Amino acid sequence: MRKKVGLGSKKDLNADLNLTPFIDLLSTCVCFLLMTAVWIEVGSVEIKQSHGTEAAASKKISYDLDLVYKTPTQLSLNLKKNGRRVRSLKVKAETAEGFQIKLNQVISEKILTIKNKAIEIATATITPRTTVNYGQLIETLDTLRKNNITNIGVLSAGGR
Amino acid sequence: MRLNSTLVASDAFEKHLINRKRKNSWGKKAAVYALMLTSMVDMFSMLVVFLLQTFSTSPEILINKGLVLPNSITASQVQEAPVLSINKDGNLYLDQKLVGLTKKILKQPNGLMKELNVIKNSWADHHAGLAFPGEINLQADKEISSTVVSQVMGVLTSGQFQSIQLAVIGLR
Repeated sequence: MRKKVGLGSKKDLNADLNLTPFIDLLSTCVCFLLMTAVWIEVGSVEIKQSHGTEAAASKKISYDLDLVYKTPTQLSLNLKKNGRRVRSLKVKAETAEGFQIKLNQVISEKILTIKNKAIEIATATITPRTTVNYGQLIETLDTLRKNNITNIGVLSAGGR
Repeated sequence: MRLNSTLVASDAFEKHLINRKRKNSWGKKAAVYALMLTSMVDMFSMLVVFLLQTFSTSPEILINKGLVLPNSITASQVQEAPVLSINKDGNLYLDQKLVGLTKKILKQPNGLMKELNVIKNSWADHHAGLAFPGEINLQADKEISSTVVSQVMGVLTSGQFQSIQLAVIGLR
């Protein structure tokens, strides 16, 4: 007998999603991601110690900035134009946090603008001190980098 | 509760138990233990999303035990390069190998220079015809004096490692 097509008893279409391969995939993903996860993200702050290469190559009027630490919360800023001092400022604060805020304010308001004109700092040099720890030095580097001063060097002579 | 040899429920839970007993008494069925997959899939999906968000492709750099790196908000991605670390105990390590006391090395840097030359030579062997980039990762404890770090940087610069990457903990 010929089987009638389409007239047999209608079964409900099984629309259930097969979860097994889905769970397999998710478990594999979780295992892989957990094994390759980096929980402590180590970053880097670049220091360019070779002065007189990149900056000297350009013949533009270049400004250089010297940051000389006196104490962990006191620093003097010397702005130089073609080697001659143009501006000298002192930054002093009571606390380390307040010092960084003040330094940021002085750099953005008094160093990066001269006679209402924005200037670019070619190089910045930090002179460290024995009393200033490495963490504070990094905070100062952060403040400079926040103000788009990226060509930074640290004076490598033994400090006082 | 049994009343005139019939089961009477006193609360909803008891009613449910009685119903189950009645159903079971009609004909024994095989016990089916179904795992609630929906919540499990939900949890897995959330885990995968979280882990994918925190996934980083930056190279993994080992930090010496007891070394506390300073935090930075302007940190960039770390480069794969030799790692020089200055520990709080005063020891200097190059690629996890002890070189010596930092104070002694700063007075007589010959030992460190020798190790740096080995790295430089092996780099030159593997990259013939290319200029040495002079990249090095410097890890130092945040409590160490900045002058010690700057003096070590001076030694590195004289050893042609001029692109110094100061290792920090990146804050997002």
